[in-house]
Amino acid sequence: MKTRVLGFVALIAVIGASVNGLFVVPADLNQGDAQRIMYVHVASAWIAYASFGVTALAGLGYLIWRDLRLDALALAGAEVGVIFTAFAIWGGMMWGRPVWGVYWQWEDPRLTTTALLLALYIGYLLLRRLTDDPARRAARAAVVGLIAAVDIPIVHFSVIWWRGLHQGPTFGDPAKVLNPSAPLQFVLALLAMLAAFTLVWVYLLIRRYQLARIEWRLEEAARRGRIAAARGSALGAASVEEPAR
Amino acid sequence: MNDLRRGLAVAIAIARKDAISELRGRQAAGSTIFFAALVLLLFGFALGPDSQRLAVAAPGLLWLAIVFGGLLTMARLHQLEADDGAFEQLALYPVDRRAIYAGKALAGAAAMLVLGGLLLPVVAILYGIPLGAAWLPLLVAVALGAIGFAAVGTAYAGLTVRMRAREVMLPLLMLPIVAPLLLAAVKATVASLSGDPLGELGSWLQLLVAFDVIMLVVGAGTYGFLLED
Amino acid sequence: MTAVGFVIAAYGVILGGICLYVAYLLRRLGIARDASRRVGGDLDEAP
Repeated sequence: MKTRVLGFVALIAVIGASVNGLFVVPADLNQGDAQRIMYVHVASAWIAYASFGVTALAGLGYLIWRDLRLDALALAGAEVGVIFTAFAIWGGMMWGRPVWGVYWQWEDPRLTTTALLLALYIGYLLLRRLTDDPARRAARAAVVGLIAAVDIPIVHFSVIWWRGLHQGPTFGDPAKVLNPSAPLQFVLALLAMLAAFTLVWVYLLIRRYQLARIEWRLEEAARRGRIAAARGSALGAASVEEPAR
Repeated sequence: MNDLRRGLAVAIAIARKDAISELRGRQAAGSTIFFAALVLLLFGFALGPDSQRLAVAAPGLLWLAIVFGGLLTMARLHQLEADDGAFEQLALYPVDRRAIYAGKALAGAAAMLVLGGLLLPVVAILYGIPLGAAWLPLLVAVALGAIGFAAVGTAYAGLTVRMRAREVMLPLLMLPIVAPLLLAAVKATVASLSGDPLGELGSWLQLLVAFDVIMLVVGAGTYGFLLED
Repeated sequence: MTAVGFVIAAYGVILGGICLYVAYLLRRLGIARDASRRVGGDLDEAP
């Protein structure tokens, strides 16, 4: 019940923040209307990375305490994270085309790091899908989640160095809106969107976690059913022999 | 202190066992090296015949060949245990998991060092890159790259080798992780070959070392959980 | 496409995507809960 309330509050928050970002806030002097994309792009990226953090930490927690509920949380984080990572990349591309003139820019460390994040998440989810035993799945996923999480900062720094040592023109910084000299209205618009997306994120995590728990219990029931059926057929075969004697 | 000595002994024993089976099953290791050389040859067909373009691309192509060969190498080093059910046996021994990891990672790094070292002259010939005085920093870069790749590869190979779709899962998981390793190794190679005009070789080698250390620590810490399942 | 087009594409896909994912989750939750009821198990405990 409380989750449903959260869902409605999140919905209203997103609508409000979007209306604000699209119609209330003025367009940027340099980037024009394309600047508005930043609000959803940065918010999506923020949520994506936070989600990834949840997955990594929940996985670590599973390795320590062996509580499958933590594994369910890790899965929720990963699935929600994939989606927001895709959003972040899409937003980055939609911003890049009008502002940079190209959909993709290798020298932007955020874009390339986020693309790698997507690849890592998808690998994580595929790994889960291909492992049937819940304990094994949880352990493997936790290891992969940890290694991936540790890799992300390395990727980020390496791409920054990659760009820094290359003598090329400096491209427009997508997160200019985070610049201290940015107009207050822009910063507030971003914070509003961030808050709204965070509410959505928590709502989605809860729902996905609930789904994971129910599906795990169904899995368990099916597994016990199969064992019982196998045992039952063995007993059945034995009892058929008796009366024939 | 005694534990450390015992752990070291275990690690070396495992690495030595792997090295022996690599040398005995010579065809497998040799085939992988030949495959990597073949990849380099094919790159020539794909990007050539302009030798200047190939010379510029050479460092990147070298490391791609090392990565592809490395994937096969890491899978092979774990296949033997998987086939014999030795992983489950290993898990039963009261031995520090980190020692097992260290042994396998050592074997992996050594195999990849050999792979990379042998590909250097191939690249030199196919793409017309004189190695000259650069051979030392090049070898260092290859060694650091080998260690990093083996650090992650040991963990991931141990993970995927008993899975469905194992052939695709190892590359799928490895490639995004080694992206920064690839980046840094290529940059270090370029710097070495050009005499390091911008003085950036040190930075890239440092990045490689950081990657290696971080991945070795995480790999050693988590390997035990992979054996237990 | 003017900048406005890209803005619409960005917001449309992202906000629309969120809505689709919510709908998808709620649907799967409904199906799972029905199946759980049939098996006789308890529904979701407090998380």
